[in-house]
Amino acid sequence: MAEIVSLAEGVRRLVHDGDTVALEGFTHLIPHAAGQEIIRQRRRELTLVRMTPDIVYDQLIGAGCARKLVFSWGGNPGVGSLHRFRDAVQHGWPAPLEIEEHSHAGMANRYVAGASGLPFAVLRGYSGTDLPEHTATIKQITCPFTGERLAAVPALNPDVGIIHAQRADRAGNVQIWGLVGVQKEAVLAARRSLVTVEEVVDELEPVPGGVVLPSWAVTCVAEVPGGAHPSYAQGYYDRDNDYYEYWDSIGRNRDSFEAWLREKVFGVEEVAT
Amino acid sequence: MSEATRAEVCAVACAELFRGDGEIVASPMGLLPSLGARLARLTFEPGLLLSDGEACLLANTPGLGAADEPVVEGWQPFRAVLETVVPRGRRHVVMGANQLDRHGNQNISAIGDHARPAKQLLGVRGGPGNTVNHRTSYWVPRHGRRVFVEHVDVVSGVGFARARQVGARFHDVHRVVTNLGVLDFGGPGHAPRLRSVHPGVTVAEVEESTGFPLDTTGTTETRPPTAEELRLLREVLDPKALREREVPS
Repeated sequence: MAEIVSLAEGVRRLVHDGDTVALEGFTHLIPHAAGQEIIRQRRRELTLVRMTPDIVYDQLIGAGCARKLVFSWGGNPGVGSLHRFRDAVQHGWPAPLEIEEHSHAGMANRYVAGASGLPFAVLRGYSGTDLPEHTATIKQITCPFTGERLAAVPALNPDVGIIHAQRADRAGNVQIWGLVGVQKEAVLAARRSLVTVEEVVDELEPVPGGVVLPSWAVTCVAEVPGGAHPSYAQGYYDRDNDYYEYWDSIGRNRDSFEAWLREKVFGVEEVAT
Repeated sequence: MSEATRAEVCAVACAELFRGDGEIVASPMGLLPSLGARLARLTFEPGLLLSDGEACLLANTPGLGAADEPVVEGWQPFRAVLETVVPRGRRHVVMGANQLDRHGNQNISAIGDHARPAKQLLGVRGGPGNTVNHRTSYWVPRHGRRVFVEHVDVVSGVGFARARQVGARFHDVHRVVTNLGVLDFGGPGHAPRLRSVHPGVTVAEVEESTGFPLDTTGTTETRPPTAEELRLLREVLDPKALREREVPS
């Protein structure tokens, strides 16, 4: 059963140096506050997994938390490049970053396999690209029924899955609605999971199209209002588009990034206790 | 109405990508392809399905940067795109390309060595799946030798030679629209061809800006926008003229 804890306690308990950690949420409900708490607790040597590393991973990579990145697209959506990510891959700053590059469908299927308890997923993509040459987790298999050559990718089972949702009840059942990516699969595939929520409520009113992650599928829940900012939480707040522009100016240089880290991450106590 | 600008010619060339597509999902990446898809839908391809850029399908065809409110007619979550739309091939994507080569291979992953690149790009994202599952076109806003190279550094989207080699039976790279003209791979053995040059551009100019030979035997001039297309672009789809910033005349 999920336990309701503070964000700092959740990260302390669930995220360890060297872990494979997946922070998911696509466009909507990106767990930014949890990412910054990982930085604040100075976790190191993490393998970061995410379909679309955007600002949340640029911050973790720039802060030196990551050893490796498993991804399919790394950019600042609507703005341009992730400069901390590029600096790490191109120049090894602040530490070398190993990359494991997949396609979107490959990543999504890997989570689905992990959540389903299957060892691998199969798809038509990757054939003919150079990716199998660079990414060890793409192999060819032959369909036993048609003989077609297809790609196999291994299940993703992160040590920790972290997502942000709209709300949870006091028993730790989590409710999420609106645009979802692979959050459900990331939680079900992970050995441990942390869900930050806008609010903890007495009762979860049903919402059309909503997904409920039952308490028994979640390890810890932390109430973190605004925890998805600068991304958005449907029903709570809109996307802060200006922040994405602002991030370009912060992330562009090592100095401005380090000043940001000192002031906005290490300079503040955890967001919620 | 004043003469069409280069950006407007490009928008119409992007619209032409979708001619004959019928009732499929159009996934234009970037401003000019988006204008093109919307223009096609308002004129000769009314059956095209367009999303709002996220997970909703639009019943109307709102302008970009215009005041029109989107009218939602359907829910197309990412899961449906990955599990149904892409694998069933009912889609035409227009992607960008940091590099494209004579075989139609596209690179959006890295320039240089993949493990320690000179330039880390955004990543292969949908390229490996799109190009072997359904029709794919490309939009290149700055036609030059940095983009059109002999061999791309990391094949992210699959070209014709690779597709043949791996037996990719749904491979369908359609055309490449650039700020200078329109290319395809319809020459002998899927050789790259210059289909048309935009008004004011010479064949020699395109050849100089391309790092591999082009078959120019059938090159024509890109068709200019009609008066109605210009009206739609200027008054309905792009009243702030964002197109002129992406492709200056």
